[in-house]
Amino acid sequence: MTRVLVVDDSETVLLMLQRRLEMAGYDVATATDGQGALDGVAADPHPDIVLLDAMMPGMSGIEALQEMRASGNNTPVLIVSAYRYGEEPDEAVRLGADGCVPKPFDWDELVQRIEELAGA
Amino acid sequence: MTVSVTSRLRIGFAVLIALITAVSVLGVGRLFQVREHFEDSSAHYASLALQNERMRSTFVLEQAALGGPTGKAGQRRRRAAFNTAAAAAASTTDEAQKLAEGEAGISAAIEMRKAAEAAWRTQVAKPILAGGRPQPAVDRRLTTAVAQGGNDIDVAIGHARATSRDRSNHDTHTVVILVLAGLLGGLLAAVVLFSGLTNSMRAPLKRLVDGARNLAGGDLGTRVDTGGPAEIETLGVAFNDMASALERDARERDRVERMKDDFLLTVSHELRTPVTSVKGFAEMLASQENSMSAAQREAIGAISEGTGDLSRLIDDLVDLARSDAGRLRIETRPTAVRPLLERVARQMRNSFSQRGQKLQVSAQKDLPRIKADPERIAQALNNLLSNANKYGHEGGVVRLSATRKGKEVAIEVSDEGPGMTEEELEHVFERFWRADSGASQRVGGTGLGLAIAKSVVELHDGTITAQSGDQGATFTITLPATRSRAKTHSPRTRVGAKR
Repeated sequence: MTRVLVVDDSETVLLMLQRRLEMAGYDVATATDGQGALDGVAADPHPDIVLLDAMMPGMSGIEALQEMRASGNNTPVLIVSAYRYGEEPDEAVRLGADGCVPKPFDWDELVQRIEELAGA
Repeated sequence: MTVSVTSRLRIGFAVLIALITAVSVLGVGRLFQVREHFEDSSAHYASLALQNERMRSTFVLEQAALGGPTGKAGQRRRRAAFNTAAAAAASTTDEAQKLAEGEAGISAAIEMRKAAEAAWRTQVAKPILAGGRPQPAVDRRLTTAVAQGGNDIDVAIGHARATSRDRSNHDTHTVVILVLAGLLGGLLAAVVLFSGLTNSMRAPLKRLVDGARNLAGGDLGTRVDTGGPAEIETLGVAFNDMASALERDARERDRVERMKDDFLLTVSHELRTPVTSVKGFAEMLASQENSMSAAQREAIGAISEGTGDLSRLIDDLVDLARSDAGRLRIETRPTAVRPLLERVARQMRNSFSQRGQKLQVSAQKDLPRIKADPERIAQALNNLLSNANKYGHEGGVVRLSATRKGKEVAIEVSDEGPGMTEEELEHVFERFWRADSGASQRVGGTGLGLAIAKSVVELHDGTITAQSGDQGATFTITLPATRSRAKTHSPRTRVGAKR
């Protein structure tokens, strides 16, 4: 079963993603900040893919991603963001992510991207 | 502080006027002097000539005194008369000599005549007075010599008078030439002064003009070197102050704009987050509609639709606000038209099939690539197609086509809907404006789609127009084609959110 780590500071978004991904047949772990994301990818069993919110208080998703990559962790990461194309304050830092999905989600697209990245 | 233009001008004018006045006064004064001298000498020579006449008269009196009665008593009377006449002649001659003092020629002539008169007295008058008879030849010769002496004096006076006239004429000429030279010199000095003044202003003025042009061209960092005459230096300082103020204002405006943009993005971010969970849960519930009552299904449908509208509205508002602030950026690259049209058509297929409409896509062969940000142009086309989808008749045909128009590519979206009136066409790209027909009551949408399409197209230096006849409406976007038609272009990869 594909294990997904969902990281988002919004409790309701987190709950929604957890419920729907579970209904879609995924094994879901959650975290609410960057540090939680780092702990989550290091935990056993490892997640097959991380859905990482870009903007979070404390350690942001971007920082967590940079730290992950710096420490040699190559787990696929899908950045989820409420920003749009051209709005991202610092888009360059998205480099290192395997893709981006905007909020609110197009559910079919989200699932498709998860399948593409986690299946590989 | 350098000398000001006004004080330079003042000093220059003062010097110039002093110079011209001095030259004029001296010149005129000298002319008067020359004139006066000439008149004096004229009078002098006139009195000399008069004195010469007097000498002639006294000589005639002397001669006359020799005539008269003979005899002892007559002899005495004659001698007395002669002595009186001779004394008058001598004093007249002395006066003449005094008058002619310093005039060598005239003095010599008087001296000669005096000698001739003295010779006449000794050789003619004395013998006659002594009762003798001088030889007539001697008398004639000496009398003639005296007369000749008088004539010579006249000649000498005339000569001196001519010399004096020549000298005064020469002096007059010299003075006139000197005055003219002085005035010319003054004029020359004025030219030098003013050209120097102009030159001293030219460079700093050019700097100011260049600076003003740069500033007008938008380079707010422009400052000029302040130099030259005091006024221009002051102007330069004022110019720099103005530029600093403008730059400060621009920076402040930029700061405010950036704050507004940050605020806008934060607000949209915060709005999208709850919409995400509402939309997600609504979709989740909708997927379980089998276990729901009709009323619940209806409610879920309404929630889904509402969150969809809300989500689009947020996107549209952000785009428009950023477009207004000039912050909606596009990254153009050579973009093939047909794949772009096909991609947009694919995204819209569901919406068209829901209304039983047919979407026909066509692109002319050998279309050049367009200079476009494909994401943004896709967004604009999406909005046009949504519009056609909403306003077109159910079961109708919507055409999406691309053709070449010179150096541009025209992309058309046409529907078979009710079309628009002239008045409606005028307002169709305005925000929140919707066609006031019955159809608009039924259709959803934010009323911002066409306004955004217009903004996006104009960012590409393209145009967007709307036409409508009795039936159907046609929207046309024209976009500049790329110059090269190179087929092998690897599209830039970018990691970013997709719309």
